[in-house]
Amino acid sequence: MRRPTGVMMVLILAAITYWQWPRAETLSPDSAAAVIAILGGGDTAGYARALVPRPFAFPADYGPHNDFRQEWWYYTGNLQTSEGRHFGYELTFFRFALAPHEIARNSAWATRQIYLAHFALTDVQANRYLNEERIDRAALGLAGAQGAPYKIWLEDWIAKGDTAQGLPMHLHAATSRMAIDLYLTNLKPMVLQGDKGLSQKGDAPGDASYYYSLTRLATKGTVRIDDKTYVVSGLSWMDREWSTSALEQGQVGWDWFALQLSDQHELMFYRLRRKDGSIDPHSSGVIVAADGATKPLPPDAVNIFVTKHWQSPHSGVRYPAGWKLTVPSLGISLDIAPYIQDQEFNHRFRYWEGAVRITGQNNGHSVRGNGYVELVGYELPRRE
Amino acid sequence: MNTLLSLAGLRYLRRHPAQGLLATLGIALGVGVVVAVDLAVGSADQAFQISAAMMTGRETHQIVGGPNGLDETLFTRLRIGAGVRASAPLVEGFGRLPRFGGMTVRLIGIDPLSDTTVRNIGVGSAKTDTLRRLLTVPNSVLISARTADHLHLKTDDTLQVLVKGRVQTLTIATVMTPAQNIAARGLDEVLVMDIATAQELLDMQGRLSRIDVHLPDGAMGEAVQRRIRDLLPPGADLLPASAMSANLAQMIRAFQLNLHAMSLLGLVVGMFLIYNAMSFSVVQRRPLWAALRALGVTRGEIFGVVLEEAALLGAAGIVLGIALGYGLGLGLVHIVLRTINDLYFTVAMSEPPLPPLVWVKGALLGGLASVVAAALPAWKAATLPVTQVLRRSAVETQTRRRLPCLSFAGIVLLCTGVAWLIAVGGNLTQAFVAIFVAVAGYALLIPLATRGFMLLLHPAMSAIGLMGRMATRGVIASLSRTGVAVAALTVVISVSLGMAIMIDSFRHTFSAWLNQTLQADFYVSAAGPSGTPLAPAIIKAIKSLPEVAAVSTGKRWYLDGPQSITEVFVLDPAPASLKGFRFKYGNQTTLWQSFLHHDALLISESYATRHALAAGNTLMLRTERGAHRFPVVGVYYDYGSDQGVVTMSRATYEHWWNDADVTSLGLYLKPGSSNDTDAVAEKLRLDVSGGEMLSIRPNRAVRDAALTIFERTFAVTRVLQLLALLVAAVGIVGALTALQLERGRELGVLRSLGLTQAQLWGLVTGESLLMGFAAGLFALPLGLGLAYVLINVIQAHAFGWTMAMSVVPTQPVRTILLALVAAGAAGLYPAWRMARQPPLAVLREE
Repeated sequence: MRRPTGVMMVLILAAITYWQWPRAETLSPDSAAAVIAILGGGDTAGYARALVPRPFAFPADYGPHNDFRQEWWYYTGNLQTSEGRHFGYELTFFRFALAPHEIARNSAWATRQIYLAHFALTDVQANRYLNEERIDRAALGLAGAQGAPYKIWLEDWIAKGDTAQGLPMHLHAATSRMAIDLYLTNLKPMVLQGDKGLSQKGDAPGDASYYYSLTRLATKGTVRIDDKTYVVSGLSWMDREWSTSALEQGQVGWDWFALQLSDQHELMFYRLRRKDGSIDPHSSGVIVAADGATKPLPPDAVNIFVTKHWQSPHSGVRYPAGWKLTVPSLGISLDIAPYIQDQEFNHRFRYWEGAVRITGQNNGHSVRGNGYVELVGYELPRRE
Repeated sequence: MNTLLSLAGLRYLRRHPAQGLLATLGIALGVGVVVAVDLAVGSADQAFQISAAMMTGRETHQIVGGPNGLDETLFTRLRIGAGVRASAPLVEGFGRLPRFGGMTVRLIGIDPLSDTTVRNIGVGSAKTDTLRRLLTVPNSVLISARTADHLHLKTDDTLQVLVKGRVQTLTIATVMTPAQNIAARGLDEVLVMDIATAQELLDMQGRLSRIDVHLPDGAMGEAVQRRIRDLLPPGADLLPASAMSANLAQMIRAFQLNLHAMSLLGLVVGMFLIYNAMSFSVVQRRPLWAALRALGVTRGEIFGVVLEEAALLGAAGIVLGIALGYGLGLGLVHIVLRTINDLYFTVAMSEPPLPPLVWVKGALLGGLASVVAAALPAWKAATLPVTQVLRRSAVETQTRRRLPCLSFAGIVLLCTGVAWLIAVGGNLTQAFVAIFVAVAGYALLIPLATRGFMLLLHPAMSAIGLMGRMATRGVIASLSRTGVAVAALTVVISVSLGMAIMIDSFRHTFSAWLNQTLQADFYVSAAGPSGTPLAPAIIKAIKSLPEVAAVSTGKRWYLDGPQSITEVFVLDPAPASLKGFRFKYGNQTTLWQSFLHHDALLISESYATRHALAAGNTLMLRTERGAHRFPVVGVYYDYGSDQGVVTMSRATYEHWWNDADVTSLGLYLKPGSSNDTDAVAEKLRLDVSGGEMLSIRPNRAVRDAALTIFERTFAVTRVLQLLALLVAAVGIVGALTALQLERGRELGVLRSLGLTQAQLWGLVTGESLLMGFAAGLFALPLGLGLAYVLINVIQAHAFGWTMAMSVVPTQPVRTILLALVAAGAAGLYPAWRMARQPPLAVLREE
C-alpha cells in the first residue's frame, strides 16, 4: 500500500503540528492548526469503510469516492532534459470529507468536501527545492474531482485524463516561480496493492484502504523555473488511495520508498515506525517485475539501514538522508541517496519528500534508477 | 530654587486652601473637558476604524460591486482566470438580537480556507472541529470571547437573530480569543460564520459583498490590477483599501471637528479661570513680595517662586482633571458613538480605549495653561517697584492705564478674526481658529465695556441709594478682577447662545423639512436592520388594499467609489411624492418630469456642496452596464444626510442596474381612510405581513423618531455647553472670592462705619448680578454673530445644509437671565463669607 491510511497521517501530522509549531521558529501558526484539527477529528461514524476487496472500474475509480473520509492522488517523478539536467516533481491532491453525508443547502459554497494540493519541484543542478500548497473547498469550481472523464483540480493545478479511458494523463501546475506541464503514458499494468486492492492497516475489520498504483508512467513535457522553460522526459509514479479507518496507537510515522530501476523493475516499500523505535508489523511493500508480475514484500523480507542524516535548516528537524535497502531473498541490494538534501515540504503539513538516486544489485546484475522517498513524522529533538 | 522662598509660597497656600483649591479646580475642569472630548472623539475614531477595517488584514484592495454586491463566480474567475491567490470573499450584513434589546450585530461570512491569504480574523486559533462545524453545520457561528461575555453565551448555546425579517436560530460553534487585541475589538458584536451560512441567512445566494485582495507593489501589482479589471463586470470596481476607509473617515470628520472645537472652548475658559486664581494669589501677597524685595530677594527669584507654585497647582489640577476627564469621557463616548450609529454607520459600542496620548495631551495643555496664566501675574509681581507693590490700588491703576492698549488689541483681533472668517471659505479648521481669534478679541474688549457699562448704569444705580452706587463703583474699582470674570462669562454665555440659536434654527428647518418630505400616511419596511428588501408578495398585497390610494417605493443603497461613498435613493413615486421635494431652484414640475422620464438624477443640497455640482452638470456613476454620466436636473433640500443623497427614479435604476429590490414603501391612504390610521395599521400587521415581520410606522412616528435622533445628535453639544458654563461659574466664584479677600480691609472699614451684614451681602450680591447682567448683555451681539457664523459658515460647509436662522424672541431674555443666574449663584458664597466676617478681625489683621 502506498500510504498507511490517511487517518494515521492526519493524526500524526496534527500531533506534530500542535506540539512542534510553537518551537519551530520559521513558521507562524495560521489556520493550519484548525484545518488539521478538522481533518484529525476521530469520528468515523457514517463514512463508508474498506471492508472487503472490491472490483475496480475505470475511469470511474480515477475519480473521487466521496463517502470515504479521505483520499489522495499522488504523482511523483524524475525528469531530465536532453542535456541531462535532472528535475524531480511532486504533485499531490488530497480530498477530505468534513461530514459523512451531504445535506441540501441553498448556498453554492456549502460543501462537505475540501481539497488540498502540494506541488514541489526539485532542481538538482541549481540545488534548489520549490514548493507550494493550496487549499480550497469543492465549490464554485474552485476545486473538485471526477472520474468520467477523469479530472482533479485545485484552481489551475490540474491532473486529467486525455481520453475517455483516463489515460494518458496530463498534469499542469504553475506558481509564480515554477510550473510543470507533463503528459504521462502508462507502461505497465496497474498494481492493486494488498489483497486485490484492499490494503489492511490494522487488526480490526475496516481499518483498511483501497489502494492502487501506476508504477511506471513514461513522462514528457516541460518544466519552468522562474522564466526558464525546460523540455524534459522521464518516469512518473501515480498512487491512488482512499479510506476512512482509524489507525493503531503507537505509530509515529513512516518511511516510504518508490523506486524505479533500470531493469524495468519497481520496488515499493513503506515501513511504519513505532514510538518505541520498532518497526510495525503492518509495514509492507511490493516488487513489480518487468512483465508486471508482482510479489509482495513482507516486513521481515526487507532490511533498511540509514547511512546518513541531514538536519533541516528550516524546521530544525533531523531526517535520514541515505539508505541501504536490501531484500536478501531476492538478491536485491540498493544504495539510495537524495539528489539534493533539502526537499523538506514545509507548509500546513511538514514532511520530507524527495527525488532519490539509486545504485546497486538486483539478482546478480547491477542496476541504477530513480525514485521518491517520503519521510513523515520526524520531530525536533525533545527538549530536556 | 531657594528653599526658604519655596516654603514661604507653600505655607501661603496652606493658610489659604480655598485659593489653591479654586486654582486647582479651574485647571482640573479645563483639563477634564479636553481629556473627555479627546477620549470620546478618539474612541469614536477607533470604533470606526475597527468597524471599517474589521479584520487586521493585509488586503491592499477591495473589489466592490453595486447594490447587490458581486456575482460569486467572480471569485472563481479571479482565482483561476487572473491567478490572484491572495484573495478572500466576504459576505456581510446586519442582524438584530431580539433578546438583547434589539442590539445590532454584524454578520460576517468568510471562507476560512482562503481567508488566511488576506486577513487574519482569528479563525486560525480555533481548535477542535470548529471549522468542520462552520462549514458543514448550517447556522453555526463564531463569536469573540468579549462578545460571548457580553451576551452571556458559551459554546453550543443558541442565539436568536432577526435577519431579513425572519428570526433565525444560530448555534455558537465556538468562542474564540483572537490573538491580537485589535482583532478582538474588531470582533465585538460580530458573528463570524462560513460564507455559505452568511449567504443563506442574508438571502445572498450567489452574491458576495466584496472580495479583499492583496496585490504586490510596483509593476507586478499593476499588471495584476489590469488582469483583475479585465475580469470585472461593469457594476464592479477595484478600489484601494485605504480609499475605502478614508471614505468612511471623511464622513465623520466634520462631526469630530465640531467636538474638538467645543473642547477647546472648555480649555480657553479654563485658562481664564487659572489666570484669575493665579493672579489673585500673587496680588494677595504683595506685602510679602515687597518685604522680600526689600530684603534683597531678586525679581527672578520671586518670578520663580510664583511659577513654581503655578506648576504645583497645575500638577494637582492635571491629576484631578485627568480623573475627571475619564469619568466624563465614559459618558461622552457613549453619546458620541450613538450619534455616529444614528447618523453614519454601525460601530460597536464598547468600552473606550485609554490611549496614553490623550492623557499626555491633556496634561501638557493643562500644564501650559497654568504656567502661561501664572506668568503674567508673576511678572507683574516681580517687576512692580517695591514701593508700589505694597499698594493694591497700584494694580488697578496699572490695569486702567493698560485698558486702551488691551482694547486696541481686542479690536485688532476681532477685526482679524472676522476678516479671516470672510476670507476662509470652506476650510473648517481655519474657520474655527478664526472664530477663536474673533472671540478672543471680543473678550479683550470686555473690561473696557464693563467699565463703560458701569459708568452708564451709575446714575441709575445711584438712584437706588448708597449701595447701588457702591456696587457699580466696586465693579469698576476692581476691574482687573471683575473684567476677567465678566469676559469669561460673556464668552461662555455667547457660545451657549450661538449654539442654541443654531440648534433651534436647525431644528426648525429640519422639522419643516420633515413635514414636507414625509408625505405618505404610512411607511412600511422589513423589520430588522435597514436595507432589508420587502417580499414582492407583500408589496403586491399592500398595493391592493382598498384603503390605499397610492404607494411609493424606495430603496436606499450605497455605492462605493474611489473618492467617496454615494448614498443612492431609488424612488418609484406616488403622485403625491413630488410634494416631498423642495428644490433649491428651477421649476418644480419641469424638474419632476425630466427626473421621471429622462434618466436624470436629483441630488440633495449637501451632495451638491460636497461634490461641487449644480443642476445642468452630469454625475458619473458606476452601473451594471458600465460607468455612465447621468444628467443632474435638480438640487433639493435634504437634511437627512450630511453626506448627501443621489435620488433616481425606479425606471432609471432598473435600466442601469439589474435589481428590483424595494426596501421601503410609502402608503397614501384614500381620503376616507386616512382618519382611521390605527385600523389600517392593524390590518397591515395582521393580514398583509404573512408572517414576515414588518415595521409599520405612521407618518407621525417616523417624524418623532427623526426628531429624537436630531436631539440625540446635539446631546454632546449640550453636555459640553454645560461644562463650559460650569467652568465660567467657577471663574466667577473665584473672582468674587478673590475680591472679598482683597477688599477685606475695605469691607471691614465699611462694617465699622455701620454697614449691616445684610447690606454688605446685598452689596456683594449686587456686584455679581451687575457683572452677570453686563456679561449677558455683552453676550447678545457675540452670540448672534456666532450663530450666524455657525449656520452660514460652519454648518454650510461642514454639512452642506442651508438653514434659515431663526431667533426665538425670548432667546435674548433667556440669555440675560442665564447670565444673571450663573453670576448670582456664583456670588452667593463669597457674599455670605464677606458678610459673615467680623470686621474687627479683618482690621486687626492689617
